[in-house]
Amino acid sequence: MRPARSGSGLPEGKDRDLDGLLALVARGDETAFASMYDQLSGPVYGLIRRVVRDPAQSEEVAQEVMLEVWRAATRFDPAKGSAATWVLTIAHRRAVDRVRSAAAAAEREKRTSVLLSAGDEVAEAVEASLERERVRRCLDGLTDLQRQSITLAYYGGHSYREVAGLLGLTLGTIKTRIRDGLIRLRDCMGVT
Amino acid sequence: MRSLRVNLHALTGAYAVDAIDDESERARFEHHVRRCHDCTAELRGMADTATRLAFAATQPAPPELRDRVLAAVSRTRQLPPNVERSRQTEAGRAAARRPPVAWRPRVAWLVAAASVIAVIALTVALIQTRGQLDKTRARQARIAAVLAAPDARAVSQPTSAGGTATVVYSRSHRALVVTSARLPPTPPGKVYELWLLGPPKVRPAGFLRPARNGRSVPVLVPGLLHGDQLGLTVEPAGGTPKPTTPPILVLPLGA
Repeated sequence: MRPARSGSGLPEGKDRDLDGLLALVARGDETAFASMYDQLSGPVYGLIRRVVRDPAQSEEVAQEVMLEVWRAATRFDPAKGSAATWVLTIAHRRAVDRVRSAAAAAEREKRTSVLLSAGDEVAEAVEASLERERVRRCLDGLTDLQRQSITLAYYGGHSYREVAGLLGLTLGTIKTRIRDGLIRLRDCMGVT
Repeated sequence: MRSLRVNLHALTGAYAVDAIDDESERARFEHHVRRCHDCTAELRGMADTATRLAFAATQPAPPELRDRVLAAVSRTRQLPPNVERSRQTEAGRAAARRPPVAWRPRVAWLVAAASVIAVIALTVALIQTRGQLDKTRARQARIAAVLAAPDARAVSQPTSAGGTATVVYSRSHRALVVTSARLPPTPPGKVYELWLLGPPKVRPAGFLRPARNGRSVPVLVPGLLHGDQLGLTVEPAGGTPKPTTPPILVLPLGA
């Protein structure tokens, strides 16, 4: 059913292309950086928009992330993971840092109500590509609690404490649901 | 002990989606991961899974962003590669076992703090193996409790006499643990005396005794109040109730 994949399980060869590009970027190749930008700016910007929401702020964060990728490419170690995961880990971290800063606290309160229905939102937003379809199917395969916990934490940029508060459950339950859910998603997506 | 480990292990998911906002909790988890082979593999799979979630959220970036980023790139210097790490095989392997952690700038501080805590813990352990008295054990248990406190923070600062003082403090325990490295020996008849420099008043906080290996024995200082700073002076043997010389160190202890 699922083809054998390696790394993040992105479409065939994409992982390897990106790893190769990042190796060139590490040597200061700006053309390689531009190609990498073209492949990853969509996921980077999209993810940041999901977490940060405000378009202007999202653009700022995306710019910081891309510049960080350029600066730190020299320190990327392919033994530790794929280039795509490296870049998107930076993007998520930066987006979360942005929403967790004190100034964003009030804004986050406002978003809470929206986030509570984030599970449905995923289903709505996800329709175009096959990739989205796959992820949506996998998200559908989770329990409601697993899906809500992961969505609130990853797309919502909430800490697991906040997720526990939002869902009215114990910290232990949330920790476990995030972990179980990710493991189930991983298996469903064919990530090795 | 066992349940603590299991507890930490359950954090892999939360860690993979950046959902641990308590820095000391994250530091403890990262410490655990370094010695946990299973965790590394699990975290890697989870990070890749998160990447898939990110791809599912793809939205076209504003076109002008591309120009801005490429312009910024053309005038930004890249970081020097981390040569040292790849040369040391042992360290390299340890790093490989670690999750995306090392990529994150903020982790540098945490790692520094964690290693400071590890050094203190080691010193404590060494003293313990030398088999000292029950009283010492009780003191060490209190030191260990401060080091393990969820709100423990580590700060380090060079003294004006040379060497570095390191403090791990916990507001919830109202205590701090002080140690130092490479502090020069005191002149004969003198000692290093610690102080809590508080807005209400200055209180003596014990003595820092440089040990032979250049590190001082960790000192537990109870009675920490909000707004206290830690001071260090050179005083006549036996100590004084109030500092009589200018401090060689004043270390602010943040909130």
